[in-house]
Amino acid sequence: MAAVLRLREAAFPRHGHVLWQQSPLARLRPAFRSRARNEPRVSAPPALHPAHHAPAVWFLKGLKAGLSVPAIVLFASYLGFGAVLQSVGFPLGAGLASTLLVWALPAQLILVGGIAAGTALPALALAVALSSMRLLPMVVSVAPYIRGPRRSLFWELVCAHYVAMTVWLEGLRMLPHLPGEARIPFTLGLGNMLISVSMLGTLAGFLVAGELPMPLAAGLLLLTPLSFTVLMVRNAAGATDWLALAAGFILMPATLGLEGGLDLMIAGIGGGTFAYAVGRLLERRRARGRS
Amino acid sequence: MTGAAMSEGAALLIVLLVGFLPTEIWRSLAVLAGRRVEEGSPVFHWVKAVATALLAAVVARLLFAPAGALVAVPLALRLGAVAGGVAGFLAFRRSVFAGVLVGEFILIAGIVLSH
Repeated sequence: MAAVLRLREAAFPRHGHVLWQQSPLARLRPAFRSRARNEPRVSAPPALHPAHHAPAVWFLKGLKAGLSVPAIVLFASYLGFGAVLQSVGFPLGAGLASTLLVWALPAQLILVGGIAAGTALPALALAVALSSMRLLPMVVSVAPYIRGPRRSLFWELVCAHYVAMTVWLEGLRMLPHLPGEARIPFTLGLGNMLISVSMLGTLAGFLVAGELPMPLAAGLLLLTPLSFTVLMVRNAAGATDWLALAAGFILMPATLGLEGGLDLMIAGIGGGTFAYAVGRLLERRRARGRS
Repeated sequence: MTGAAMSEGAALLIVLLVGFLPTEIWRSLAVLAGRRVEEGSPVFHWVKAVATALLAAVVARLLFAPAGALVAVPLALRLGAVAGGVAGFLAFRRSVFAGVLVGEFILIAGIVLSH
């Protein structure tokens, strides 16, 4: 329990960049750093004078950063997904492959649920595409932090594969404080650790699903919406974020009757655009009020 | 069940064509088309708002139109558990762990008490 709490403290710092220095990584940093003998102990913050490491070291640091509370949450969420796989009779190997290759829980749930319901495959592909479209703005917004000083299209495409909810949130939080050349190997380490943990969760969920009593099975399935909601509340900063959150949440049940993932498009693109427009309006009004 | 008759190979092919391709295309497009989108631009803010709203919509969908064992749980209890989770998160020094724990407790206690 104490270990979990300590992990939580490390994984969810409350004051952004200041607490990055208290993460397990940063605490280990002096061990890796080749500091000049007579360099003063208290110099500039690490963000300004980052240590230089080989890419393999940054990859290992990424792996290590992946072992955090978000990894436990992913494990638990994929435990629920594994249970769904088992309940609809979806083959385990293909289910594990979906975690590795699709790496987006909502899309995986739509895929597996659709197949179980006998949805036509082209329609299902469209539904998956519509549900995964949220990844585009996610990748766009985190990409400036992933790409280093030298741009490599190949590695940017590889790194983009790892971007889903967790890597997006953790990337936006951690990457800005890393030196440019560290970002791609760190992202690969972080992403590979999180996918590995999630595949383990999928496997475990599949294997235990049949054994769980109903209240616990429902608890497993609630983990995803519950943890995503709390994480979004935690990450909301400013009127636009709150408006987008509320618009998406409120528009969804109103459009639930629409077929083929259209509900997601209306709630997402419509709600997001509405939030953006109102957020800008509020900002401008505040700016005018000040002047 | 449809899935029971499905072979591992057929399911793998479906995961590739119906799962992987329609998902990865957005990630690749974002890298290819989003390369010129810089941080702080209006487009950047718009896509972030859309991403947030889409995510909120996905979460709402899991709550309003659930699958599996959650179907048997009343909507009020599903929503109450998530609302309680957010309240727990805010009450316990913005701890995500505490929030999830409170939400799960409310759900499971609610199910057990109503039976």
